[in-house]
Order: sequence, then C-alpha cells, then structure tokens
Amino acid sequence: MQSLKLLFDYLIFPGFLFCAVAGLLATWVDRKVTARLQYRVGPPWFQPFADIAKLLGKETIVPEGVSRSVFLGAPLVGLAGVTLVGTLLWLVSLNLGQTFVGDLIVVMYLLTLPSLAIIIGGSASRNPLAAIGASREMKLILAYELPFILACATVIFRTRALQLGEIIGWQMANGPLFWSFSGFLAFAAALFVIQAKLGAVPFDIPEAEQEIAAGPIIEYSGPALAVIRLSRAMLYFILPLFLTVLFLGGFDAWFPAKYLAVLTLIILIKNTNPRLRIDHALRFFWGPVTIAAAAGFILALLGK
Amino acid sequence: MPLLAYIIILPVIAAALCLMFKRAAAALAFVMSVDALFMAFSLFTGGRQELPLLSLQAYPLNSGIYLVAALIVLLTVLYSLKFIGRHERLGEYYGYLMLALAATAGALFAEEFLMFFLFWGVMGLALYLLIGIGGKKAAGAAQKTLIILGGSDLLMVAGAGLVWIMTGRMEMGGTLLAVNNPLALAAFLLLLAGAFAKAGVMPFHSWIPAAAEGAPTPVMALLPAALDKLVGVYLIVRISLDIFLITPGGTASLILLAVGSFTIIAAVLGALLQHDLKKLLSFHAISQVGYMVVGIGTGLPVGVAGAIFHMFNNALYKSALFFCSGSVERQTGTTEMKKLGGLGQKMPLTFAAALIASLSISGVPPFNGFVSKWLIYQGIIEGGQANQLWIIWLMAAMLGSAFTLASFVKLLHATFLGQGAELTAKAREVEWPMWLPPIILAALCVIFGVFAYQLPLRYLILPAFARFIIPGIWDPGLATSMLGVGLALGLLIYLLGNVRSVTQRPAFYGGEILPEETIKVTGDDFYDTVKRIRPLEQIFKIAERKVFDLYEVSRVVVGGAAKIASRIEEKIWPMF
Repeated sequence: MQSLKLLFDYLIFPGFLFCAVAGLLATWVDRKVTARLQYRVGPPWFQPFADIAKLLGKETIVPEGVSRSVFLGAPLVGLAGVTLVGTLLWLVSLNLGQTFVGDLIVVMYLLTLPSLAIIIGGSASRNPLAAIGASREMKLILAYELPFILACATVIFRTRALQLGEIIGWQMANGPLFWSFSGFLAFAAALFVIQAKLGAVPFDIPEAEQEIAAGPIIEYSGPALAVIRLSRAMLYFILPLFLTVLFLGGFDAWFPAKYLAVLTLIILIKNTNPRLRIDHALRFFWGPVTIAAAAGFILALLGK
Repeated sequence: MPLLAYIIILPVIAAALCLMFKRAAAALAFVMSVDALFMAFSLFTGGRQELPLLSLQAYPLNSGIYLVAALIVLLTVLYSLKFIGRHERLGEYYGYLMLALAATAGALFAEEFLMFFLFWGVMGLALYLLIGIGGKKAAGAAQKTLIILGGSDLLMVAGAGLVWIMTGRMEMGGTLLAVNNPLALAAFLLLLAGAFAKAGVMPFHSWIPAAAEGAPTPVMALLPAALDKLVGVYLIVRISLDIFLITPGGTASLILLAVGSFTIIAAVLGALLQHDLKKLLSFHAISQVGYMVVGIGTGLPVGVAGAIFHMFNNALYKSALFFCSGSVERQTGTTEMKKLGGLGQKMPLTFAAALIASLSISGVPPFNGFVSKWLIYQGIIEGGQANQLWIIWLMAAMLGSAFTLASFVKLLHATFLGQGAELTAKAREVEWPMWLPPIILAALCVIFGVFAYQLPLRYLILPAFARFIIPGIWDPGLATSMLGVGLALGLLIYLLGNVRSVTQRPAFYGGEILPEETIKVTGDDFYDTVKRIRPLEQIFKIAERKVFDLYEVSRVVVGGAAKIASRIEEKIWPMF
C-alpha cells in the first residue's frame, strides 16, 4: 500500500505528470511573454504539448559509432533525476513533517543530475560541437556551484536546519528569509544560479544555437529530444519552486503569486541580456555573484 | 597458533616462496590472497581477538579494513595475471605484493608503537620495491617515495617518543591526550606527518604523481590507491581518537580541517589540468584523502564515520579506476588522453566500470561516494556550532566535489566517449582477469551506495561508535528505486514514441566534410578557460614552480636534510 502511494506520488501527483504539465505551461508563459516583448503574437497555450507529441513521432537518428545505451540512456537519467527532485520538493511542501528521500544537500546534488545527463549524452554523441557544448556546461556548473553553496549555507545557518520541512517551518514562524538582508542577497545569488541551471539567456552558453547549433543536444532527435525538452520544461517549474521553498516561505495561499514572481524575474533577465561568453560567465559567478552571496553569509553570521 | 599470527606469517612465507620459485609465483600469490580473504572474513566475523605475545589486537574497525584490503590484494593479483604476464622479475613482483599484504595486516592489528613501526616500515619498503619494478623510468619515483616516506617515518618515531615521554606508555591508544600544550601539539603533528605522507596528504603528496608515471599500474591500484590509504587514514583515526583527544573547534581539529580542505582543493585543481590518465588519477588519490582528513577533523561521530566510510569507498573506486586505466594502457599502448577517445563502445565492460567509479568518486547520488561525502558535510555543518570557519571547510569540500566531477567528465570524454583516435581504432575489450576486478569493485560501489545503512555503515563503521546522530536525511534505497521508476517511465515514453526505427547517420557539424583528426575535440583542453581566470592563473603559475611540494621545497631550502634522512634509512633498511 505504502509503495503504491509512493508510486502514485512519483508518477502522477505531485511527481511526473503534475510537474510535466505545469512545466510545459511555464515554458508557454515564457514563450508568450518573450513574443509579446518582441512584438510578436506568440504560440497558443498547447504549443509546448504539441511540440513534445510531434517529437515523439519523429524518427530516432543516432550518430555513427556511438554507444547507443549511453547516448539514448543519458536523457532518461536526467528525467528521472528531475522527477525525483520535483516529487521531493512537493511532498515536503505539502506536508512539512514528511521526511522523504533527502535533505537540502541531497537536493543540491540531485539537481546536478540533469546537467550531468546532458554532458554525458553530448560527449557520447561523437560530435565536436557537442563536445564543446558539454565542456561549457561543465564549466558553467563549476562557475555557479560556488555562490550556490554559499546561498544554501546561508539558509542552513539562518534556519539551523538541513531538512526542507524544517526550513519552511522556520520561515513560517519567523517570516520568509527573503525579507532580511542576508536572505535577500542569498536569494539574488541563487536566482542567477537557477537561471544558469535552466540554461536560459544570458547563460545559454552550452547550447548557443547560433554558434554551436544547440551544442550537447545537436545529435538528438525524436523521442530522446522530447525527453530532454520535457526535463528542461519540468525544471522551469521545479527550480522556481526550490527558490520559493528556500527563501519565500514555501507553499501557502500566496504560492501562485510567489512562483509567478520568480518566473517573471527569470523571463525578464532572459529577455534583457545578451548571451555571455563562457569565461565571462565564470568571472561573473566567481566575482560579483559570489561576493554578493558571501556578503549575505557574513550578514547572516552577524544576525541580519 | 591463533588466526592473528597466521594472517601475518603466512603471507611472509608466501613472499619468500615467490622470491625463490619464480615460475610458481603467480599461482602461489593467487592461492595466498584467496586464503587471506578467507582468513580476513573469519577474523571479521569472529569479533574481538587478541594476541598479547606480539601485542596484536583485532576489533571490528581494523578487521573490517583488513577485509577490504585483502579483497583488493586478491583482485590485484588476479589483474596482474594478465597485465604483468611474463615479466622477468615476476618472482619479485608477487613476492613484494605478498610482503605488502603481510605488512598491512601487521600495521592494522598492531597495538604498540614499536610493532607498528616495524610493519609500517616494511609496507613502505614493499612500495619502494614495487615501484622500482617499473624499470628505469620509475627509479627516480621510487627514490622520491623512499625519501618522503622514510623521512616522515623518522618524524613519526620522534612523535611516538614524545608520547612516551608524556605518558610512559608505548601502546597506541587509551591515552587520550589533550592537544593543549606545545609538547602535545608537537607529538600530534609529528605523528600526523607520518600518516599524512603514507596517505598522500599535502604537502607530503608528491611521491604519488611521480610513482604514477613509472610504476606498474596494478601497483598504483593496490598501494597508493588502496592499502596506503586504508592504513594511513586508519592511523590518522587512531591518532585523533585514541592517542589524542580532538575537541570540535580545538587547535588539533582546526589543523586537520585546514590541511584537509587545502589538500582537497589544491590536488583537484592539479587533477583538472593533467594530460595523462594515470597522473590525473594520482592527483585524485591525494584530493580524496582531504575529505577523510576533514571528516576526522570535525571531531564529531558523524564526520569521523563519514571519513572512515569515505576511506572504504575511496579504496573501491580508486582501485577500479586505476585498473581501468591499466586496461586502456594495455589495449592502446598509451595513457595520454590526447591520443585516446571513443573506447566506450570497444571496451564496454571497462567503460561501465570506469563510468560507475567516476560517478562514485564525483559524489553523484545514489553511489557510495555521495553517502560518505554527505556524512562528512553533516559533520562540518554540525561542527559549525563550535566554529564560524565551517563555511570554508564546507565550500572546499563541496566545490572540490564539483571540480572532481569536472575532471572525470574530462577523463570520460577523452578516453571512452568523444571521437575515436588512431590508437583506439583497433582496441578490443581486455580478457576476463582484467575486466572482472574493476567490475567487482564497481558493483561494490553501487552496493555500498544503495545499501549504505544496511551493509557498510552497519557492519564496518558503526561498531566503532557509541553514540551516533545524523541531522539530515538521505534514503538511498528509496531514492534509487524512485530513480529506477523514473528510468522505466522514460523508457515508456521512448516506446510511445518512434524509438524502434533507429537510423544511423554521420555526426553533423555544419555540412562540410572534414577529416576526423582536424575536428577532433580531445577533451584535453576542456578547462583551459578555467585555467586563465585571474586568481587561478597566478595560483597555477606558483604551483608550477612546485612551491606546494614539500619535497622540492625542502630539497632547495634545507639543502638535503631529507636526503640525509634517506641515507640513514638506507643504512637501516638492510638490517631488517
């Protein structure tokens, strides 16, 4: 019975199906707002769903001489990881007392699975452009990991908790972390990290369509590409939720507003910045973003 | 005679026989190491045992370590059957391996300093001799190893002398000295120096990369990757928990944390820029010890348990990785990453083992490296209540983990994934004695990760602790089954779609057909951009002058103090 419940949680609600639908809708919001900002009409709401359905029907093309199990298996690992994070965050948000799978550190590590899947898949595809893209994706991880650790450490230090339920509980008692100097700085740093994790402009360096033609996913087609797109769309829903849990007090009556606010910020950053070069991204994350996150942590030590 | 005596005496006899009967050496060593594994198992299940005559003692922790050590010796011998094949110094090779096995047992079970130093020294000697078998190119490395290990052994003897002066006891443990006066601090540091050199903690690390260039690969997989780590870190645990008392936030704790954090970051940055498979791995053999030192340095049960767990895990995945690099070396004739590529399809079993071991060492959940690192992080965070510097240790450890992943992405791309190369075109999978050992170790990495609480923590680690609290949550069994369901779900999506009609096409890169060598991304230069970022560029330049290498520094500054030590050592060794 218990395992059936878990299976339902993972596959239907609040896991895969729910996150996938919500995520695809979020990408629609992204596309629509972007279009409006560029004086275009933009797609209808079902366009992301239609894209996935279309890709599922397309032919699967595999580059010559690749190890098929790695090439086609990598996207699945990404999907499984994203779904696990989504389920974990939701279950804990809906029931603070619940201890499911892992704590904040576990979530931080699970969140690298989608990027790792892209890197391994791209590297396996024997394409020079994919290899360049994969190396950029890895460098991007190196870049944002430092401020990400600092931002999460600020949360851990302020709330004295590692478990997500306790972090939300602390914020319910003491107000969201966002409304303090340290919490705000950590939030700002984490927002850029999320932007990079989504591979959104100005951090779409690994895929850089115009330059290396989608980089690590250049060789993907058909169902495998559909799975990659779907995982990416789910991240559009899950990563803002993660920020909400850490800094904005988690799931409550205001959740839709909080989620939309984070999503809007991401879309705004995306539409007002040109793509960075990878070394600029490294300097940006190791420079200003880390300094902001470190300042946040020091303020937290001082109790602000 | 009791088992504890057999466990040391039998390998010594086997070593002597190997040296005498060169033709039968391989078979002898194999039989002996199978026997050693059986003895280790019965010792491990037999509980606490003592042999007062030789002051040997077995309890769950050291017999658990010996069990893993014996397993890796057996796998090394199996691997060597094909890798070494018919070497002209076969008898010596297997003889020294058995000597290392005996010395490991002695060093692990010894309860008195004198006994311990004897076996510890023999272990260093075996290592020196084994590196020397690599031939001319290994001679320098062997000498460097002997000087560093010999010199630090002398420091350790001095440290033990100080402990004797303070307590009047030669037993290792039961003293629980507080590190609060200069004499105790000196003793603590001197003893640590020996342990650090054996385990490869900075700044006593430089013999490992040197050895990696010349020593036979199975020797690297056995000693610096496994036995030296197991025994060296075991000694650090003994020093920090039994001989001295480490209080969280105290001087001793801070020293360990600082040295450990520095080792993690400095060595992993070194690894990032290596061009040779074995050298890259040797830098990780240094970096990973940093985690163990940090874990012990927290002085909290959860951190120390994480460190011990990490020690076991490191032995598993690091040996597996060295075995894989040896297989690549044998099939292609090189370990230079620039000349490799695309081996994943040609050597699928070696690739599978290397992939799992790489993910484990990088701390990707749900593999074993993640669990032990996670425990160490818990220790650091919990220790944060005593000291504000915890964020530095946490950053070093977690960032080090990201850099580890980066350098293994480079290794996997350059060797197994990516485009093919001339040397790899005709490569085939190695024979079973060479693929089985890394596969067994990779399987253990998965088992130690998924069943972390049920198996390694319960049987190998927790018996050593009285009280144990883990503040966070990690449920590897549930997470793994969930990830499994996720994979099945993805497969279902594939099957819903059009995945059965697969077509093969050449990779597309802009329409123009170019010869493969002109467009090959080797992976060798993956991180050149990182290298050029400002503070790092300067650090790398300084590191190139070998400022962080105590061996080179002391050679220049002290003008050969270490050499004198080595000469004394060389005079002393023949007496044993």
